[in-house]
Amino acid sequence: MALSGVQRRTSEDQLKAWMVRGLDGDAAAQNALLTALLPLLRSFFARRLRGAGDDVEDLVQETLIAIHTRRASYDRDRPFTAWAYAVARYKMIDHFRRTKQTVPFEDLADILVAEGYQDAASAKLDVDALLEGVSAKQAEAIRRTKIDGQSVAEAAEAQGISEADVKVSVHRGLKALAARLKGK
Amino acid sequence: MRTEDLIQALAADTPRVPPHMAERRVFAGLLLGAAGTFVLVALALGLRGDLPGSLMQGHFLMKWAYSLSLGVIAIVAVLRAARPDSPPWRSAWLRALPFALLLAGSALELAVAPADHRMAMLMGHSNWQCMAGVSLLSLPIFAGLAWAFRRLAPTRLRTAGAALGLTAGAASATLYALHCDEVTATFVVTWYTLGILLSGLVGTLAGPRLLRW
Repeated sequence: MALSGVQRRTSEDQLKAWMVRGLDGDAAAQNALLTALLPLLRSFFARRLRGAGDDVEDLVQETLIAIHTRRASYDRDRPFTAWAYAVARYKMIDHFRRTKQTVPFEDLADILVAEGYQDAASAKLDVDALLEGVSAKQAEAIRRTKIDGQSVAEAAEAQGISEADVKVSVHRGLKALAARLKGK
Repeated sequence: MRTEDLIQALAADTPRVPPHMAERRVFAGLLLGAAGTFVLVALALGLRGDLPGSLMQGHFLMKWAYSLSLGVIAIVAVLRAARPDSPPWRSAWLRALPFALLLAGSALELAVAPADHRMAMLMGHSNWQCMAGVSLLSLPIFAGLAWAFRRLAPTRLRTAGAALGLTAGAASATLYALHCDEVTATFVVTWYTLGILLSGLVGTLAGPRLLRW
């Protein structure tokens, strides 16, 4: 983890599995769950509080306590992260109310919108299914430049092809996808 | 306290939470509160003298059909309010259905009654006692439900308070009917409804303070 420098988000499936085992009384799973939630909650609150350090950590702790003590409000048939972020969002709004802080209107969407785990997960499935319809090279070029946000140069280097080839692949691939979507 | 230590402390105490715990808690709170209200009705007001025979009479069934159907709808709202991630309720218009039906029954009843009876049918002989009784007797049930919510996670506290108050009011009306000897639909749709709405109002006002976490 230290090598890559990028902390991967723990998946919904993993978090939910820990949650359910915690509900069944497994303290180790509960520990793993809360520990995995820690970086997620820190970034959730840091983004919305613009890094007011103490407040962020207070809210993280309050949210962890709420997630632990109000587990009965979680329905095992529903996604876990949506529930956890709903708790965090409540704590966020409660914090603003308590401190009588007003929130700039343009930031409201940020606060109210969930972290989009579920949306991201189902969107990823859609993209995967779509990209299977074009050649592997085109799919990879599209994925790198349009989804992962790499530059053409980075994608070219990673794929071991020329920049022109990347551009052409993306262009043709997207055209093929558009044609397929229209055909549907 | 360091957050990492907090996590250790929390996880060290991880009791089992069986499935549908939210529903169980809500029903436990409801039953406990209702038991208290029943005792109050029986001791302070007195049950009707003709029980249990009168349980099958038309006016009694009308009261229970009304208060129980409202109660079921309010309970659904309570269970939704108990979870932070409940989707919006699409068939919200259903909530007014029992009221609309009884109102229709009342209109029918008034239409066929002689004109000089209508005022008496509306006012009965225990109108304010009924309204005050239903709303005051809802308090033990409201307390039971609020206790249940101590381990649940409502995010819209006003809405949650309203749902709790209406549930408590409907349950209280159901038990108050064991005392009440009014017979007209017009009376019930007016005074029972006012009592239940008063409970709902109290819940709406108390919700943001009482249910905060």
